[in-house]
Amino acid sequence: MEILVVGLNHSTAPVAIREKITFPEETDGHVSLSVVHASGVEEAVILSTCNRGEVIAATEEPDRGMDALVETIGRIHNLSHEDFFDYLYLLRGPEAVRHVFRVASSLDSMVLGEPQILGQVKDGYRRAAKVNATGPILNRLLHRAFFTAKRVRNETGVGKAAVSVAYVAVELAKKILGDLHKKQVLLIGAGEMAELAARHLATQVERPIVVTNRTYENACTLAGELRGSAVRMEEVQGALIDADVVITSTASCDPIINRPLMKTVLAKRRYRPVFLIDIAIPRDVDPAVNDIDSVYLFNIDDLQSVVEENIGERKQEALRGENIVNEEVLKFMRWMETLEATPTIIALKEKLEQIREGELNRLNGKLSRLGDDEREAVEMLTRSIINKIAHDPIAFLKRTESRSRRNVYLDIAQRLFGLDGLSTPSREEKGEPAEE
Amino acid sequence: MDFTFFKVALVLYLGASVGYLTFLVLSKQTAAPVAFWASVAGFAVHTLSLLHRAVFSGFFPLATAFDSLSFFVWLVVGLFLLVRYKDPSPIFGAIVTPVAAVLMVFASTLSYQIQEPIIPILKSWWLPIHVALALLGNGVFTFVAISGLMYIVQERLIKAKRIGRLHKLLPSLETLDTINRHGLPFGFFLLTVGIISGALWAGSVWGFYWSWDPKETWSLITWFAYAAMVHQRVVLGWRGKKAAYLAIAGFCLVMFTFIGVSALLGGHHAFSGTGRFVSPSGY
Repeated sequence: MEILVVGLNHSTAPVAIREKITFPEETDGHVSLSVVHASGVEEAVILSTCNRGEVIAATEEPDRGMDALVETIGRIHNLSHEDFFDYLYLLRGPEAVRHVFRVASSLDSMVLGEPQILGQVKDGYRRAAKVNATGPILNRLLHRAFFTAKRVRNETGVGKAAVSVAYVAVELAKKILGDLHKKQVLLIGAGEMAELAARHLATQVERPIVVTNRTYENACTLAGELRGSAVRMEEVQGALIDADVVITSTASCDPIINRPLMKTVLAKRRYRPVFLIDIAIPRDVDPAVNDIDSVYLFNIDDLQSVVEENIGERKQEALRGENIVNEEVLKFMRWMETLEATPTIIALKEKLEQIREGELNRLNGKLSRLGDDEREAVEMLTRSIINKIAHDPIAFLKRTESRSRRNVYLDIAQRLFGLDGLSTPSREEKGEPAEE
Repeated sequence: MDFTFFKVALVLYLGASVGYLTFLVLSKQTAAPVAFWASVAGFAVHTLSLLHRAVFSGFFPLATAFDSLSFFVWLVVGLFLLVRYKDPSPIFGAIVTPVAAVLMVFASTLSYQIQEPIIPILKSWWLPIHVALALLGNGVFTFVAISGLMYIVQERLIKAKRIGRLHKLLPSLETLDTINRHGLPFGFFLLTVGIISGALWAGSVWGFYWSWDPKETWSLITWFAYAAMVHQRVVLGWRGKKAAYLAIAGFCLVMFTFIGVSALLGGHHAFSGTGRFVSPSGY
C-alpha cells in the first residue's frame, strides 16, 4: 500500500494553469469518489484551494495508480496530458506523506503559516470521508496531518508574526496603546492601503472611526462605508486631539502634520500617547514629529520593513516546523509498515510464542520433576496448540491479499490480537524483517 | 523540623525559572505555560509552607531572617501572579521566578532557629503588621521599577523602529504605564502606613514614636521622594518615560534604605542578640 499525491501549486504552476485545475464539481465529495472509481485507487481525497489543486490517494499499485490519477485529473478538467503534465508534482511514499503534512501545517503555503489552509484540508477530507472515498489509510493520514499541523502551530511561531502592512499597524498600535477597545482612530485622506489599515483597526475599536478629507463629500462617503463619522479638513486639529491612532494618506505635497502642530496637539491632549501611521507618498507627516515624547510615527517604509523582518522570522520558525513534520512522517511510515500482511503474521506468531514460553517458564518449578522425554512432549504439545490456534487467522490474513478490504482486516486483526503497537509498543521498535 | 513544603516550593520555582528561560533562550512556545503553572503550584505550596511555619512558631512567621525572606518571596510571586492575570506576556515570569528561586536558595542557608526566648518587643502584633506592610511596599516598588525599566527599553525600540523579538516579548507601553500608575500610589500608601505602624509600635514598647534612627531617617527621605513622585504623576500628569525614570530612581533609594542602611549605618532595626538582623524589613 502506498500514498500518492498528484497536483500543482503556486510554486509549480502559473495562475493560468492553476485556474484550470480546480475540481469545480467537488462540492459534496463525489468527485473524490469518482476519482477512486476511475483511477482504480483504493482511497482518494481532493484538495482544492486558490493556490493549489491536488489529489491524495492510497493504492496497492502505485505505478499504475499514478498514471491513472493524472489521466483522471485531465479528464475531469477537459485538459490533454501535455497541457498540464509539466506543472505537476508526482509524489509517493514518505515524500507524499511529508507533502500532505507540510500542506496542512501551512509550511507549503504562499504566505507561510497562514491559518486558512488547515480548514481547507479539513473540509476536503470531510467531503471525501462522507461518501466513503477514504478508508483506513487516508483516514489515518489526514488525522495525523491535522495533529501535525496543530503541533507546528503550538510549538513554533510560524503563524505568529504579522506579515501584512495592515496587520503590522494593528500589532504596533496594541504595543503602544494596549487594548484598542476604547481608542479613537482618525483617517486623514483616502487610498486603498489606508482604508485597509482602517478596516483592520475598525474590528478592534468600539468607537466609530473619524474620517477627514480635502473634499468633504468624499470624507462622508468613506465614513459611510467604514461606519464612521466625517469631519472637515479645517477641523483636523481638533480631531487630532481626540485621536489615538492616526492614519494619513493624502495627496498633499507638503506635510500636513508638522512638529509645532503636533506639540500643540500633544499639550492639549495631556501628553497621552499617539500613534501616527503615514501611508502617503510624499509623506504627510514631518519625520521630526517622531522625536516628540509620546508620539510614535511609522511611515509606509517602516511598516514594510517590519513586514520583511516578520517574514524572515516566519521562515526561521518554519525550519522548526519541518523538524516536527519529519518526526511525524517517520511515525506514520512506521505505522504503514505494520499494515503489510507479512509483518502482521510474524507479529502474531511472535506474540503466541511469547505467551507459550512465558507460561512454560512460569510452571518451570512443577515441570522440573519431569524426565527429558516428558519435557519434550510438553514442548511439542504446547507448540502444536498454538500452531493450531494460529492456523486459521494466518490463512485468513494471507487470503486477504485480495486487495480492497485488506487494510481493514489487517487493522482489525492487529487490534484483535493487540499487535497494533498501542498495546505492545516494543514490537514497533523491533520491526525486524521476516524470516518467513 | 519539617521543611518539605518549603523545599517543594523551591523546586517548583526553580522548575518555573528553567521553563521561562527555555522559552526565552530557545523560544520554545510550550515552555511558558508549563512554567506559569509551575509557579502557580509553587505559590500554593509556598503558602502551605508559611502556614506550617506559623503553626510551628505559634506566631506570624516573621521571627527569623529565614521567615522574613520566605515571606517576601511569597509576596513578590503573588504580585507577579496578579499582574500575569492582567497581562499574559511571559516576560514578568522570566524575571520574577529566577529572582524568587535565588532568594529561596539564599533563605534556605539562613538561620531558622527561633531564639528562645524571643525578644519581648518581637512578640507584639505590631511585628506582622509593620513588617508585612513594609515588605509588601518594597515588593510593589520593585515591580514598578522593573516595569519602568521595561518601559524605557520598549519605548526606545519602538522609537527606533526595531520591531524584533525583544519588542514582541515586552508588554505594551500602556500595560507598563498602567503598572506605574496604580503601583506608585499603592506602594506609597503601604510605605506611609508602614512608617506609621512602626512609629506606633515604637511608641508602645519604648514610649517614644520617633527616634531619628538611621532607618527611620532614610525611610522618611524615601517617603518624601515618593510623595513628590505621586504628586507629579497624579497632579501634573507625568507619565510614560518620565514616570518610568522616576520609578527606577525611587527604587534605588528604597533598596538603599532596605539593605544599605542596616549594613552601613546600623541602628535599632538591626536587631542584635541573634547576631543577625531578625527581620530584614526596612521600616
